[in-house]
Amino acid sequence: MPLIRKDPEDSPPSPPVSSDLIADLQSPSSEARWSAARQLAKDRANVGHLGRALGKEADPRVREALFTGLAQIQTPDAIAAILPHIRSDDAAMRAGALDALGAAPQAVENSIPALLRDPDPDVRILVCDIVRRLPGPIATRHLCALLKAETHPNVCGAAVEALSEVGNETALPVLAKCADRFASEPFLLFSINTASERITGDGRPGGSQSA
Amino acid sequence: MNSPDPATEQEFQRLCEFLYRRTGLLFTETKRYYVERRMFERMSATGSGSFANYFARLRSNVNGEVEQLINALTVNETYFYREEHQLQCLTSDLLKERLKAKPRGQGIRIWSVPCSTGEEPYSIAIWLLENWPEVDHHHIEIIGSDIDTRVIEAAREGYFGKRALMRLSPDLVAKYFIDLGDEQWRILDSLRESVRFTPVNLAEPGGTGLHGKFDVIFCRNVLIYFDDASRRAAAENLYENLEPGGFLCLGHSESMSRISPLFDVCRYSDAIVYQRPLETRNA
Amino acid sequence: MPEAQKARALVVDDAGLVRAYYRDILERHGYHVEEALNGVEAMEKLLQASFDFIILDVNMPRMDGITFLKTLRRQALPLASIPAIVVSTESETHDISDARAAGANHYLIKPLREGSLVQYAALLSGKAA
Repeated sequence: MPLIRKDPEDSPPSPPVSSDLIADLQSPSSEARWSAARQLAKDRANVGHLGRALGKEADPRVREALFTGLAQIQTPDAIAAILPHIRSDDAAMRAGALDALGAAPQAVENSIPALLRDPDPDVRILVCDIVRRLPGPIATRHLCALLKAETHPNVCGAAVEALSEVGNETALPVLAKCADRFASEPFLLFSINTASERITGDGRPGGSQSA
Repeated sequence: MNSPDPATEQEFQRLCEFLYRRTGLLFTETKRYYVERRMFERMSATGSGSFANYFARLRSNVNGEVEQLINALTVNETYFYREEHQLQCLTSDLLKERLKAKPRGQGIRIWSVPCSTGEEPYSIAIWLLENWPEVDHHHIEIIGSDIDTRVIEAAREGYFGKRALMRLSPDLVAKYFIDLGDEQWRILDSLRESVRFTPVNLAEPGGTGLHGKFDVIFCRNVLIYFDDASRRAAAENLYENLEPGGFLCLGHSESMSRISPLFDVCRYSDAIVYQRPLETRNA
Repeated sequence: MPEAQKARALVVDDAGLVRAYYRDILERHGYHVEEALNGVEAMEKLLQASFDFIILDVNMPRMDGITFLKTLRRQALPLASIPAIVVSTESETHDISDARAAGANHYLIKPLREGSLVQYAALLSGKAA
């Protein structure tokens, strides 16, 4: 019989000491950094170390572990350690930060109004994607507040995209005004039409099936 | 009740996109009929008069509707030789690749998680004995793990009913099971003794480390039930539990693409599988 | 045009309305369109069917467009050589050089106009515009 069974040894190896793990975050071996990031993420006291490591980490897989750890801790300082990276010049870093924040949308909610007023339109675009993961009525409120004053067509596009999934009927007049402002942008008109149709359909008792 | 109108193109796409974002389940146009049937069943069960009513219920997850729909779509049932194409892939491609990459004489380790009542890890054992000519030349260790200690106990006991064996030929049943009568069978002691069963929480960060590293992990239809944060933790656990170059097999229609960028996608003739890269690359 | 003779486009963007907009335009111009929501899903699709070109967003979850493109260009031929148009938002000028370095054939700025989408699609698929 070639199938073998190995039963485990009696005592599991003792976990490494925290100070060793903190040193391991700087190790030249990405294997060691990955493993340190995951162990340290079990204790919220390590947020500072994880955050600093994230700023210097070049390996995408170790970054992923650092982002996951911070997203799981979810404290305000953990969220604060992730937030600056949505402004990164590196697209992979932005995607990582966005995913991490998206996994903890409730923890980010307090920061959302300020982020939606950020001078950088790219930040506003990315934040729309976090907002879409909040409960529908809350998301609709944030997105409508943004859309009323937004001048950048791509930011409007991102807000309309999110509304098309989570928006309710209070968004319809805001969408209509936005369409008036951007009458020369075919993509936005297409998006606003589609989003309005979906929202109208979902609000009708008979549903979105047109005759 | 009249059967509902077929979903419109846009409705079908919205449902698929919702499922994908929420669960990682990925259905394409070719699965449309199947997905619609399951959705209509759920609409009828929940008394939803229209797609829009049902979709609103789904989005707010009223009475756990997301889980209900997942159950309907994945046929949450376990039996021997389920998803045989992956077992085929294991012997025609994955094991060859792993043996090429490993020092001679090192054994092969395979993990079935979650293993439920044992059908999957025992299927792997039987499949290898039957379909892998090299089986006698290697040490093969198979472990089945689950969060539910009751199913682990049942797996160790190894009793199975007729439904669990429906895909096995009578020859295979006769060869590997003892017929206890009353449509009950027990798997041979030699197999029971060769597969180890353990408890595990896949979503607990670092909770799987003691299981060691595997060459191939079967992890079917469980990540779809997790929320975003648990899915990330589970994907990182699975990554850690794979040897570099080791393979991860998910369920049919399950896609890693919504969950994690840690793995490489590999296409073999019988299945799409995910691989832990051989070495860490910097982007 | 018979389905089998149509040039095949893979549209990769996280935003459903963006994908729907590109699909609408490309289908009207005789292309077959498939969609993916991020780089990992795009790679899965490319391994299962062949495509003539890819339209790719930069900011996407799980795998961004630049990382996807680097991964694609490391694959075996002919997969590695599929032409790709990268589309991103105006202010991300640093993305232009990153996209070029990663192997983008063209770089376009959002919001995309029908005219330029059709023009570049024709160019990359070898179809007369």
